[in-house]
Amino acid sequence: MNDDTLTLYYYNDGLTGAERREVESALRSDPALAVRYRELCEQLDGLKEFDSLPAPSHLVARWHDVIDKAGEREAVAVVKPSSSFHFGSFFWGTAVTAALALGIAIGIYMSGSSVDGSVPANTYTDIIETPEARAPTAFSRGLLVHFQESRDQLTGLDAGANGARSQLIMNIIQQNRLFERMASQNESPDLARVLRAFEPILTRLAADDISPEDAEKLQAQLAFELNIVLTKLARQVSDKTDSIDI
Amino acid sequence: MKNIVKTFLACALLLLVGASFAQTDDNEELKIAALEALMSAPPERALPIVNKVLSGNDSDEIKSRALFILSQISLPEAQAALIDAARNTSGELRMEAIRMIGISGNPEALSGLSDLYESGDSEVRDAVLEAYLIAGDSDAIYQIAINSQDPKEYEIAVHMLSAMGALEHLRTLGERGDMSETLINAYAVAGDVESLRVHANDASNPEIQVQAITALGIVGGPEVNASLVEIYRGSESPEVREAALDGMMIAGYDEGVLELFRASQDTEEKRRLLQMLVMMDSDAVWDVIDATLGNQQ
Repeated sequence: MNDDTLTLYYYNDGLTGAERREVESALRSDPALAVRYRELCEQLDGLKEFDSLPAPSHLVARWHDVIDKAGEREAVAVVKPSSSFHFGSFFWGTAVTAALALGIAIGIYMSGSSVDGSVPANTYTDIIETPEARAPTAFSRGLLVHFQESRDQLTGLDAGANGARSQLIMNIIQQNRLFERMASQNESPDLARVLRAFEPILTRLAADDISPEDAEKLQAQLAFELNIVLTKLARQVSDKTDSIDI
Repeated sequence: MKNIVKTFLACALLLLVGASFAQTDDNEELKIAALEALMSAPPERALPIVNKVLSGNDSDEIKSRALFILSQISLPEAQAALIDAARNTSGELRMEAIRMIGISGNPEALSGLSDLYESGDSEVRDAVLEAYLIAGDSDAIYQIAINSQDPKEYEIAVHMLSAMGALEHLRTLGERGDMSETLINAYAVAGDVESLRVHANDASNPEIQVQAITALGIVGGPEVNASLVEIYRGSESPEVREAALDGMMIAGYDEGVLELFRASQDTEEKRRLLQMLVMMDSDAVWDVIDATLGNQQ
């Protein structure tokens, strides 16, 4: 039983009654799995508890728009058979978690927000409905959104406003870790390395005692690197290759 | 065809900017935009342009950006250029080149970092360690830990191994007799209950034993909670018992403390356990207080 299933179980979403009972039975009979599930719960609880800044309404609207359009495209897309390259299996294998991570990310931004309302009930359940058919675009979309939003948020940051910057960056770090973990667990070391490389810079940027000049410099560096990764990712997705060797 | 046009445009933009602008912020921004555009070009076309930027007179900021482009190009020539930059540049640019080797993850380039580490100053050493961390190269960090004569350096390396979850390497360090508070903390961060339990039950080094018991509380969880109660009950040592209580407090296991309180026949011990429940802000404490006062009436 993998983390994807446990994550769905945690959110009480995407599993049939029989599948849920199967998970419950496995958790009772397998102590190691139970420990793993508790760890996962702690991580996901941490995400829920994380006090985040509200997302601007135009960004929320854009996320919804991106998701809706992607859903429409996927509904008519013909899925190419996967090659033997490992990243293909990574896409397939992490589809549910990736889509869920996107949902979580949106949920984090929406939580405690004064923005107009909640995420539509089927926003991400639609995406994970048939993961086998939708996985590649779901994962790449999740990453693209993560990179785009990270870049936009960093670019828009006030280099002098330490408190707000720290909080926003901690949000980005949380999401970054989610994607890094998915990449590591699913044998995509190239992608995991890039995501890991962002964290030390983000951590430095979140420090309270950083000068505005240094903050501006680091923000510019991250924005550039995110742009490069975005370009490469977008190019590879548009090429419809099975591999993404970022 | 599109790629050729993009490459040409990016190249032309870089040359144009270099030739016709003064060294201004706008100029820098334009060059950075040109470098970004290079990412759309085929690697074999982008590489010579990036190399030209690196060997030119541009600012360190522009060159740093060029290094990142190199890290995204998987051609051997790009890796060679990164190694060259790590060896033959200085200051911030050198640190960036080392970081980029970590991002590229190329084994040959990574192995070249060990020489730099040996001969480098503290900044270079930190950069190399960070590159290993980015690359997920726990073997290289382990080598640094076992060869280190500097406690601070050892601590950093062990801390990184724990962050990477490199349990086998951490256990091997313990088996070598390098047991220390640093390693105990690393086991805790890595969630290595098995190793912590071994040291928590080993009275041959009381200091390490106490640290291991407390560290079990950091890991937490039902399995650990049961162990902490067992350790408390199985020991006569006040230090060990105190550490087990501390572990339960860190783990937030008030049920265990309550269980010990109810089982205890020793007034002094009960007083200590009650204090602990109060410190833990346990809901059960009011029942205990009520019952205790009731018994006295």
